[in-house]
Amino acid sequence: MARIELSGIQKKWGAVWGVRDVNIDIADEEFVVFLGPSGCGKTTTMRMIAGLEEPSMGEIRMDGEVMNDVEARDRDVAMVFQGYALYPNMTIYENIRFPLRMRGVPRAEQDRMVREAAEMVELGSYLDRKPAALSGGQRQRAALGRAIVRQPQVFLMDEPLSNLDAKLRQAMRVQIKHLQRQLRITTVYVTHDQIEAMTLADRIVVMQGGLIQQIGTPDEIYADPANTFVAGFIGSPPMNLIEGEVSGGVFRAAGIEVAGVPVAGDRPVTLGVRPEDCHVGAEDAHLRGQVYGVEPTGESTYLTMKAGEKLIEVKARRDYRSALDVGEAVTFDRSRLYFFDAGSGRRIG
Amino acid sequence: MRRSRRLRKAFPYLLVAPAVGYLLMITLYPGIYAIYQSLFLVRFNSWTFVGLENYRDLLGDREFWQALRNTAIIGSIALATQCALALLLAYHAYRDPFIKGWRIIFLVPMLFMPSAVAFIWKLAFNDGRVVSDLLMRAGLIEANVSFLSSIWLARLSLIVADVWQWTPFLFIIFVAGLQSQDEEIEEAARLDGASWPAIFWNISLPMMMPVVAVAVVLRGIDITTMFANVFIMTQGTPGGATETISFFIYRTGFKTFNFGYASAASVLMLILTIIVAQTVVKRAFRSGRE
Amino acid sequence: MAAAKRRKKGESRVLRYLVLGGWALFCILPVLWFLSIGFRPRTEIITPQPIYWPTFSLDAWRMIWSDWPMALYLRNSVLAILGSVVICLVLAIPAAYSLSRYRYRYREDIGFYILSTRMMAPAIVAIPIFFLFRDMGLLDTIWALMLIYAAINLSLVTWIIRSYMLDIPPELEDAARTDGASDLRILWEIIIPACLPGIITAGVIAAIFAINEFLFTLLIASTSRAYTLSVALANFTGGSDGVIYNAIAMVAFLAFVPVFVVVVAIQKHLSRGLTMGAVKG
Repeated sequence: MARIELSGIQKKWGAVWGVRDVNIDIADEEFVVFLGPSGCGKTTTMRMIAGLEEPSMGEIRMDGEVMNDVEARDRDVAMVFQGYALYPNMTIYENIRFPLRMRGVPRAEQDRMVREAAEMVELGSYLDRKPAALSGGQRQRAALGRAIVRQPQVFLMDEPLSNLDAKLRQAMRVQIKHLQRQLRITTVYVTHDQIEAMTLADRIVVMQGGLIQQIGTPDEIYADPANTFVAGFIGSPPMNLIEGEVSGGVFRAAGIEVAGVPVAGDRPVTLGVRPEDCHVGAEDAHLRGQVYGVEPTGESTYLTMKAGEKLIEVKARRDYRSALDVGEAVTFDRSRLYFFDAGSGRRIG
Repeated sequence: MRRSRRLRKAFPYLLVAPAVGYLLMITLYPGIYAIYQSLFLVRFNSWTFVGLENYRDLLGDREFWQALRNTAIIGSIALATQCALALLLAYHAYRDPFIKGWRIIFLVPMLFMPSAVAFIWKLAFNDGRVVSDLLMRAGLIEANVSFLSSIWLARLSLIVADVWQWTPFLFIIFVAGLQSQDEEIEEAARLDGASWPAIFWNISLPMMMPVVAVAVVLRGIDITTMFANVFIMTQGTPGGATETISFFIYRTGFKTFNFGYASAASVLMLILTIIVAQTVVKRAFRSGRE
Repeated sequence: MAAAKRRKKGESRVLRYLVLGGWALFCILPVLWFLSIGFRPRTEIITPQPIYWPTFSLDAWRMIWSDWPMALYLRNSVLAILGSVVICLVLAIPAAYSLSRYRYRYREDIGFYILSTRMMAPAIVAIPIFFLFRDMGLLDTIWALMLIYAAINLSLVTWIIRSYMLDIPPELEDAARTDGASDLRILWEIIIPACLPGIITAGVIAAIFAINEFLFTLLIASTSRAYTLSVALANFTGGSDGVIYNAIAMVAFLAFVPVFVVVVAIQKHLSRGLTMGAVKG
């Protein structure tokens, strides 16, 4: 059970930046998810925690001790890889036993611990098989089993679910969360899937271009995004981001007018509003445009509006139907509007 | 242009036919010829039918069995040595940033003509007494040792020559095998607490077994046909202790001109080769195939 | 967390460079020493005590060109090698194509047969081949050498090329076929260019084995009409002088340099070539 502190972490390969200036404190037993698109630096950061990469600058501490010079095998960190990385020439039993062997755990103990771990991931009856004989989901669980068997201080997971089909992914998500709660081990989880992040994390670290965009609980990230990147990344379908101008407290863009905006002065501003915070109706008629697309999903219907050159998603009632290119008016929920500086993307209101 | 069904079906056979035909000419015809000739006592141009007498003599010939023994001894020691060395070197080299450089340097011995290599070591061990001199200076021996007139030392010099020249062959293959392994598995093992030697022994090496098998079989077959080294360095001395089976056939055929006899030996070797090919190669063929 | 063990990250490096460096020395020192032999005067080669600081002399270089028909040996080697490689490729490319692309009943057996000829020891067929060539009047000719080298290398070359052909996506051929190309045209214009690295690798390896070939060459070539470098070496004896090592060393290096250059150029493909496709470097 360990705290992890990253201070001033940077990673550079020649002239290419992988990670610039990452600072974060992870509490004991916390489940932290590093979220971002590929190439954002999340995996690199995690590998530095594992000791598989060395930071170009900065310090990594676990429980207060500086870990930069400690070799990977001595860090008491367990990792689940995206490709599972099971040892192909060994049975599942041998795979799970391997870390115990390497650490010199007495033989009698080894058997007990292996079987316990196997039970926890529900692979008890597959111990004699080799990885090649297992399905994707089973291999994933085997990799998990190998990680938990030695009760490490920290779990690291590198997109472990991305090779599974959607249904299996959902089942495994629940299992992983459950396991983590049960074992109470500090966990760092890397993914590009925002649903995984939202459902698993105690806190989410959103990264882009090697920099941390925002750190917060799922609720905070969702309801209180720090910039346009975070706002647009979380939520499905994503938040509408509309570029326009504020002057005299009124936001204007093609087909859109919102009065009483809490932004001072005259400046270019990006307006953010989630599809579910819009509804069809002319009470305030913030948006006037043409129907561009109507997509019923069963649970609701998604209406795509065209205003000027922009397409805007609106979540409508499930029985909403309309012909294309017909004029329509949409009202926004005023309490759920977000304003970002058009240049930097930072949140201003 | 429409082709008849028959031509279409025969096409792949037509493509391989020249190659197969050529090989058959070189293997089948000589094979039959050798079997035929082995049944005769051949003295210059007169052939006298003697049936299986050549074979009987052969199996009772001390020198024949000696040649087989020599081949086995020299071959297995050389093969085991170069295999172990190549593994050791590959283990150290495959993660090294300078690997390309090591590869080029290690390749050098392999790129000399085998006959040239034989001369290098002939000079070093015997004619130039360099090895002996160095050992004396190092204080390991008292007087000059003549390597090529002592049974085991002569064999040793053949082994050294072969190991020197062909370890790179195995090295290159092993390094390629190691480098093609999934890096994630190695990282997983590191995090599991394994030291580099432990990773190699428990994971990399077992994973590499098919590769090792193919390389060792190929090299093993070449070793058993060791000829140039023997011809140039020892000519089979002392007293036949370094006469490999290839040299035996050469000597009985082209030195004593006992062609029927040599053919009989060739036929026996052919049978042995076929047996080896059937068992070992078929297994490698099935599993080592991509 | 309990006090973590700190292992110095660099300590294994010492052992590594000791081992690798040691072997590198063992590889290079004999070569350098032999090179020095090539540049010694006749008198300094075989002496009661080995000389470690020899005097420089170009005796050997002069000798090989004047006392022996060196140019002839070179010509023979080059011709035999080129000829055999050409024969090999002409036979092997269609065969490789057949083995890699088509499915037919005896494909496994044919492939296995071709593979097994690699396993054949030269000594086994040496005597019959000798008689065969003698009866055909081909003894002591370069043609005989070409035919033999081609036969020895055919298996290897076929399998190397086959391995590279297997990498070519079948969609490429399907596209060409729907565009109306015949099978032979596909082979010539699409397949061969696509596996050119493999063909070159196979050709180079075949050439090297041809240069190295000793037993058959020894039997077949009895006069300098057909002597190649490999066997010529074995005959560099000068009566009372015994083996003339400085000449041998000089010739050995003559052969070594082009081989070295070419192999370094294809070294990426080497492991794949040497194992006939089993190991992809």
